[in-house]
Amino acid sequence: MEIAGTDALIMERMTKVISDVLKPGSQPITLDKRFKEDLGADSLDVVSLLMALEEEFHTQISDEEAARFTTVGAAFDYVKVKAAQKAS
Amino acid sequence: MTRRVVITGIGIIAPGAKDTAAFWDNCLAGRAAVSPIPPHWRHYAEFTSTIWAPLPVLDYPALGLSRVELMQLDASSMLALCAAQQALDSARIGRAVKNEKKNTFALEGINPERTAVYCGSGIGGLTSLIAAQANHVVSPLAKAFSLVQQQLALDGTHAPARTVLADAEESIRMPPRFNPFIVSMTMPNAISANVGIKYSLFGPNTTVCCACSAGTVAIGNAFTAVRAGLADCALCGGAEFLGDDFGGIFRGFDIAHTLVNPGNDPDCANRPFDKRRSGFLFAEGGAAILVVEELSHARNRGAPIVAEITAFAESFDGHNIMMMDPSAVHIRRMLGTLLKNAGLDLSDIDYVNSHGTGTTANDEIEARVILDCFGKKPLVNSTKSLIGHTIGAGGAIEAAVTALSIKNKTTHACKNLDEPIADLNFVRHVETFPIKKAVSQSFAFGGHNAGLVLEEYE
Repeated sequence: MEIAGTDALIMERMTKVISDVLKPGSQPITLDKRFKEDLGADSLDVVSLLMALEEEFHTQISDEEAARFTTVGAAFDYVKVKAAQKAS
Repeated sequence: MTRRVVITGIGIIAPGAKDTAAFWDNCLAGRAAVSPIPPHWRHYAEFTSTIWAPLPVLDYPALGLSRVELMQLDASSMLALCAAQQALDSARIGRAVKNEKKNTFALEGINPERTAVYCGSGIGGLTSLIAAQANHVVSPLAKAFSLVQQQLALDGTHAPARTVLADAEESIRMPPRFNPFIVSMTMPNAISANVGIKYSLFGPNTTVCCACSAGTVAIGNAFTAVRAGLADCALCGGAEFLGDDFGGIFRGFDIAHTLVNPGNDPDCANRPFDKRRSGFLFAEGGAAILVVEELSHARNRGAPIVAEITAFAESFDGHNIMMMDPSAVHIRRMLGTLLKNAGLDLSDIDYVNSHGTGTTANDEIEARVILDCFGKKPLVNSTKSLIGHTIGAGGAIEAAVTALSIKNKTTHACKNLDEPIADLNFVRHVETFPIKKAVSQSFAFGGHNAGLVLEEYE
């Protein structure tokens, strides 16, 4: 899937956050990647990742929402919606 | 044969100084760090003391801390880690990446199982708990507050009430979320634990909590462990961060009438051992970490030797949780033991880095003790006259000053000392001093007394 425009900027920022927190090495960060199984995150890493995403995108992620964050794509969709809500 | 213990590395972060070189420059130049307290603290209280000694702005990512560490570590641990890295660099101990994600390292040329960590702190990660608690308590109130404001605005009535609410809203400060790592941020042992994790060190690891003497006791514990053969090397010292966002910790000391009265000239208000002293200058925080090693361990790896630690002693007043025992009987006993442990006479001491807080009672007692125990010969100064009181880091910073004074054959003057309260050999000007044997001493809330003897390495 190609991401363009504002979405591409969001993805760029999100990739940087994921890279900072999980340090996945040569593993590319793509929408289909699962945080735990593919990017090597343990449960504390996931908590750190949520905090970092909150900080980066100035938002608050509830525990309920966080439970759905199993893939990069799920996190991206969430952040995208939040960004659109802020812009409107 | 007695194992000798030497200092081979020093790292310091203090009010006005990001590293050891800047700190020592400030000391010799007599540059003090004094500023008005943050203006927003006045939302919460009227303070008697209105000045403090702030830390410099630290760029933690540039100092090697990761994004995750910034979220998960209290400032006391971050200060300790940055000071530890400085100390390792100055001791010429290299490092190799152990785990990139965790941002941890293995030290080169050091047996990690024979390397200990002893850090002192007064309050550990209390400021993180205060921030989290603000979120915990204030979040629901802030929501209710916002609803009331909205309703009043819609009604277009109650203008005075809206003004009051708008003013009050400015005082609501809290982090956006309750930090899920708050337990490990708050626990005082996190300071030494984080140093041990960062450098993969598996020897004894303890954080010493005894307020203003914690840094001295931590170095003393490291000295004792290395001398006894429990470790060959140690990272030791103290770290403290006291600058909570509300000035609550400051208020605790202020309301107890321990802090300096700023008077008409705040720059001259902090004056330990002067007749016009009025209390201590509250510091935002600080850290000093030393690398100490058994002598042959240091020599085998070609380490630079700053000074030798030859004795440590401690005692307890058993008198009052916030006041020194005026008789100072157990301080005198501690100093006697200290010199006996070092195999020295009182007259051998060239320099005393005093506790020197600037409070009326403490300076009076300490000056009398120094005069009675050491006489008029040794040089005396107070590092707190320059950087204020960093509580659990204070003893460690002062031990570092003592070591640097021996190495550089000079030491700093007592800032703002115009009319001394005792006829002691206070350092009034920076010049060459042949300092070979020195004492660094600390006394704490609770009644904990501790001292170290440092000597020129020969």
